Amino acid sequence: MGEMEELRKEMENLKDQITAARKTFQDTTLQEAASGVTVVGRVQLKTRKTLRGHLAKIYAMHWGTDSTLCVSASQDGKLIVWDSITTNKVNAIPLKSSWVMTCAYAPSGNLVACGGLDNMCSIYNLKGKDGNVKVMRELAAHTGYLSCCRFLSDTEIITSSGDCTCVLWDIETGTEKMVFAGHQGDCMSLGVSPDFKFFISGACDFTAKLWDIREAQCRQTFSGHESDINAIGFFPNGNAVITGSDDATCKLYDLRADQELITYQDSSIMCGVTSLAASKSGRLLLAGHDDFNVNIWDMLKSERVGVLAGHDNRVSCIGVSSDGMACCTGSWDSFLKIWN
Amino acid sequence: MSSKAHSSNNIAHARRTVQQLRIEASIERIKISKASADLMNYCNEHARNDPLLIGIPASDNPFKDKKTCTIL
Repeated sequence: MGEMEELRKEMENLKDQITAARKTFQDTTLQEAASGVTVVGRVQLKTRKTLRGHLAKIYAMHWGTDSTLCVSASQDGKLIVWDSITTNKVNAIPLKSSWVMTCAYAPSGNLVACGGLDNMCSIYNLKGKDGNVKVMRELAAHTGYLSCCRFLSDTEIITSSGDCTCVLWDIETGTEKMVFAGHQGDCMSLGVSPDFKFFISGACDFTAKLWDIREAQCRQTFSGHESDINAIGFFPNGNAVITGSDDATCKLYDLRADQELITYQDSSIMCGVTSLAASKSGRLLLAGHDDFNVNIWDMLKSERVGVLAGHDNRVSCIGVSSDGMACCTGSWDSFLKIWN
Repeated sequence: MSSKAHSSNNIAHARRTVQQLRIEASIERIKISKASADLMNYCNEHARNDPLLIGIPASDNPFKDKKTCTIL
């Protein structure tokens, strides 16, 4: 058909246009620009706490905004809210479905959420009147597994799914407010911008996308990875995006330059990246891998400056607390560790 | 699905892809030198507030077990 041919041609033209436009802004590289910067000294973090209690692989963790409480999800069918300083379990929430893949803590501290192979995002109220933690809502509409979820507030949450879409939900009514479609592969991870206006998603189509939350519009797409993107996060100032992939590398993409600035890779690192987190200033990138380790990178110099070795199985999740005081890792070995 | 419905689905998908690429092609960009400078400045300005980067004195570290003291 004539129209299909025309559309294909226009697609190719536009892709070439984007590549050419990006090139015109490549007056230097981050490597060159940072050539005068001294690499940070060796970063040696120690395990300060080990959170024991899960009976199976831990798949996800998320810090509360108070930098003390955190929530973890395990395929033992439990969500546990921990006091990371005392190591006490504040709540141990039994789940209807044990096939959980993600969890999130609401900024208010009132709610937690989780989901996985049940294709649903379940919201739990931690501050119920009688002290019992109960399911408050079950957000069902995805036709694939729930890979990640993040609260915008107590009334809105964003989810990413194996059905290749992300959704913004109204928690009170339990309905979809916006559907973000465009990825050509399972969405694996999402991150919300510091100003809550945008979110980024990483997918099995090897791309990362920036979405305008209110317009339900994809604004930018970033390519370059050679395999699934498993982890994604914002650089602390909201102007750049960090991705981690099965291709064993992490990449830094700048939103305003609309392109990749640098790749964090080493020939000795052959295992996929499962999770990542930035330190508070953005200078350090912590990346969890399938090989049981966390690599610490100087983000400006793209040099490895440390390793966290302490788990006996894959590091599946990692998070840096809001005040930057600690990093938490969760593993298939069923333990969480707090490092600083 | 009839082949006509299938091809009209493909055309609808192609139209959406073109529409999306038009949006992505039209954004305003800045130079990598400026993007890099801003990232470096941010790192510098916030370095002293980055405990994992600069280290935490034991007395200020809530996660470090304190050694107990007895007052004699």
